[in-house]
Amino acid sequence: MPEYESVIGLETHIQLNTRSKIFCGCKADSWEDDPNVNICPICAGLPGVLPTLNKSVVEKAVLLALAVQADNILPISYLARKNYFYPDLPKGYQISQYAEPLARGGRLIIPSADGEDRVVNIEKLHIEEDAGKTVHQNGKRLIDFNRCGVPLVEMVTAPDIRSADDAAAYLIQLRRLLRWLGISEADMERGQLRCDANVSIRILGEDSLNTKTEIKNINSIENVRAAIKTEVKRQIQTVEAGQTIEAWTLGWDEDTETLRKMRSKETEADYRYFREPDLLPIRIDEEWLLEIKSSLPELPLARQKRFTLDYGLPDYDAAILTEERSLSSYFEATVKLSAGDPKTISNWVMNDVLRLIKEKKISAGGLRLIPKYLAEIIEIVESGMITRGTGKELLVNVEDKGKTPLELVELEGLAQVSDEETLKSMAMTIVDQNPKQVATYKAGKATILGWFVGQLMRATKGRADAKIVQSIFQELLDNDGDLGS
Amino acid sequence: MTALIDLSLHEAAQALRAGETSARELTLACIARMEEVDGHVHAFLAQTPDLALEHADRADKMLAEARKGENESLSNLVGIPVAIKDVLTIRGVPTTCGSKILEGYRPPYTATSVQRLIDSGAVILGKTNTDEFAMGSSTENSAYGVTHNPWDLARVPGGSSGGSAAAVAARMCFAALGTDTGGSVRQPAAFCGITGLKPSYGRVSRYGLIAYGSSLDTVGIHAHSAAEMAVLYTTMAGHDELDSTSMPGAVEEIQLQDGDLRGIRVGVPKEYFIDGIQPAVEAAVREALNVLGDLGCELQEISLPHTNLALPVYYIIAPAEASANLARYDGIRFGPRKNGDDLWDTYLKTRGELFGPEVKRRIMLGTYALSSGYYDAYYAQAQKVRTLIKQDFERAFERVDLIASPVTPTTAFPIGAHEDDPLAMYLEDVFTLPANLAGVPGLAFPVGFDDSGLPIGMQITGPHLGEAILFRVTHAYQKATDWHNKEALL
Repeated sequence: MPEYESVIGLETHIQLNTRSKIFCGCKADSWEDDPNVNICPICAGLPGVLPTLNKSVVEKAVLLALAVQADNILPISYLARKNYFYPDLPKGYQISQYAEPLARGGRLIIPSADGEDRVVNIEKLHIEEDAGKTVHQNGKRLIDFNRCGVPLVEMVTAPDIRSADDAAAYLIQLRRLLRWLGISEADMERGQLRCDANVSIRILGEDSLNTKTEIKNINSIENVRAAIKTEVKRQIQTVEAGQTIEAWTLGWDEDTETLRKMRSKETEADYRYFREPDLLPIRIDEEWLLEIKSSLPELPLARQKRFTLDYGLPDYDAAILTEERSLSSYFEATVKLSAGDPKTISNWVMNDVLRLIKEKKISAGGLRLIPKYLAEIIEIVESGMITRGTGKELLVNVEDKGKTPLELVELEGLAQVSDEETLKSMAMTIVDQNPKQVATYKAGKATILGWFVGQLMRATKGRADAKIVQSIFQELLDNDGDLGS
Repeated sequence: MTALIDLSLHEAAQALRAGETSARELTLACIARMEEVDGHVHAFLAQTPDLALEHADRADKMLAEARKGENESLSNLVGIPVAIKDVLTIRGVPTTCGSKILEGYRPPYTATSVQRLIDSGAVILGKTNTDEFAMGSSTENSAYGVTHNPWDLARVPGGSSGGSAAAVAARMCFAALGTDTGGSVRQPAAFCGITGLKPSYGRVSRYGLIAYGSSLDTVGIHAHSAAEMAVLYTTMAGHDELDSTSMPGAVEEIQLQDGDLRGIRVGVPKEYFIDGIQPAVEAAVREALNVLGDLGCELQEISLPHTNLALPVYYIIAPAEASANLARYDGIRFGPRKNGDDLWDTYLKTRGELFGPEVKRRIMLGTYALSSGYYDAYYAQAQKVRTLIKQDFERAFERVDLIASPVTPTTAFPIGAHEDDPLAMYLEDVFTLPANLAGVPGLAFPVGFDDSGLPIGMQITGPHLGEAILFRVTHAYQKATDWHNKEALL
């Protein structure tokens, strides 16, 4: 059997997080709303209505085009009608873009574990309106028009992806980018990021493009991976059995983890695209483009790389810290406010701050533990004013109580008991009060030393340095309670 | 005093201000006139007397306040009864587009053009008949029966805005709104002996105009004179944020005082005086040109070389847009539904049984023209030729200020004359289509009668957003002549 290579292209639909819909003033996000509440004559396609384009849809789409280094953001692009009949498509056509999309060309870089980054070329990027949602229930077709007119960006890759894992990695990168840019929540389970995969195979080393199948409606990154793996396997088996691949459209059934044939491509509709006469051409002049460009942030991969160079972080740390834009800014702000070592700060952020973020389900930008406070906590731990353990608790307390770290140290008396005389006298008391344990120690069971340390740590509420405490007890017990005399 | 319905719009406005009559009285006079003659004319698809009286009472309040000096800037529209073509929406009022597929439909919102009239104090009398979805030139394509021409009830009033034109001609209302996609305001104005304006594309909002050919559709006006139309035009014209294709910026002021037309260059396109044109039509138009000459206009022959391509181009572009615009009539969300065995069958039954033959013909034409494999040869090619037609006008307007021509080759034809010949019906619009393709304004006004006593119209066409000169020239002509004051004896 020859070695096969899979050839994959992804078509993604990205729901933009604009407040209102693309062609009317209705609320765009209906995730938590009842059916058919966020609709008006315009998005319901009543006779006589006209669309008007939401400017922020164009701005968010252009921002994405810039972020994927589009080769050509068209100074004039056009909306077009895509004609087909379906009950959840109220006008009988979808307003989309066709021959003149918003942007052409571009690339998304997929960092790879083997260190060899992959480049996935973007063929085109356009904006369009979403259709409604049909639910089949008890033999009835129920239609929710809330989703009609929700703004989408369709982004199509070249057939550059060579494995199901790379397809998943592409989606992870895309999701990271979308959230980073703040243009989409990009939650696949909520349909905010949707993916169709075009899959074909060829013998490794060839560069032909063979008949492809299209897998539709895959609703999670893991399912994209599984569906592509399944389809590639099926295609190899088909070809090996001497049969030909047909241009099917397939659906992924999550429950049975199987692919279902939806239709043959030959019966696909002729969409009769033509320019939308109700809307003006989209003109993106130099001035507007510059304005949008000025809001383009440093991108995740660039920031990740910079963190390794500027702060000497391991790539692992840099990747985690730049997984999300607000976390990366949080880290960097802390570094700038602190005299401490960036790697130490990275440890604190990756462990304690990230845990806090996950528990509270907020973003780093929403923490009451602002970078300044984190920097302070790290500083007083490093200076020995409080113990590391106290520092970890203090961090949670600052978040919960909304007070500054120093206020809390003062208020709750958290400062480390570092006065050795105080510790010694406390230790002597413990030794005096526990002759039985002293006897055990004397009998040669040295491990009971830990018990003494524990007693003192409890008495100081953990504010003592355990190493110092241990040496104090050791000296006390070895010298029969006679300290330094 | 003249009967209320025989007053001009300005006379009525004056009488209202002076307190010689009330909006309620004026409205009741129109309602009585409708009751008297609409059984013969059938201009209205829906009469809205309750809404009209509500508007009238509101107008009377506005007038009373004005008399007390509380509202100085009162529009001449206050208390004036008008009719609205049934392709424009009015909240809660049946809106059918002359089609069975919208039978019983009451839209939840009002068209911008109509709303602006209402906001200025106009009284809405009802909805007027139209060829189904404005596709036709006679109202014979209305699913609810033909409208009869007030000048000869055996003849058509023209179309598609035939109901509006007939309602004005029969003095059931003072003015009416029509729509013009290929001549649907100007041609019925000519057939009914009244004045009609198709504004520039983008001058009056299309929001609430139920679309036929979106890149050609305009909201137009019917009245007896240019001066009357100017009242409605200035009320409606201007940008609407609900219509992206409506022009931003201020609307040029309409100046009517000036009767002197010296220096205005009038182009007479040779392509519009063709074989087959009714001799009486040509004679009346030539005579009207002489009047314009007497008023100071400089006449010159010009050429619009692509005129003969307008008809085929129109019958590709308009049906193509219509094929998409009419896709929403699927029986799912509004209008009647004919249930079939499955979804597809329901579509076929609903659309198959409830659309009329002309609508189906144009949907098929348009679908074909847009289909893969034909798009380039038809739709794309038509768009290119449309540009040439537009350039014809642009070039002409470098040399002349307006273009004058007949509105139609003939006067009103008998009902049923083109029954089996859709192509002959299409030729009705041969002189009016080019203005829609070019997006320029056109104004039709009466210039005489043929031997059968049927009105003849002349059309003047101006450059894009050049309505002001059309009003000025027509007004001067109407001050010098009284064709527009002739009344159908009904």
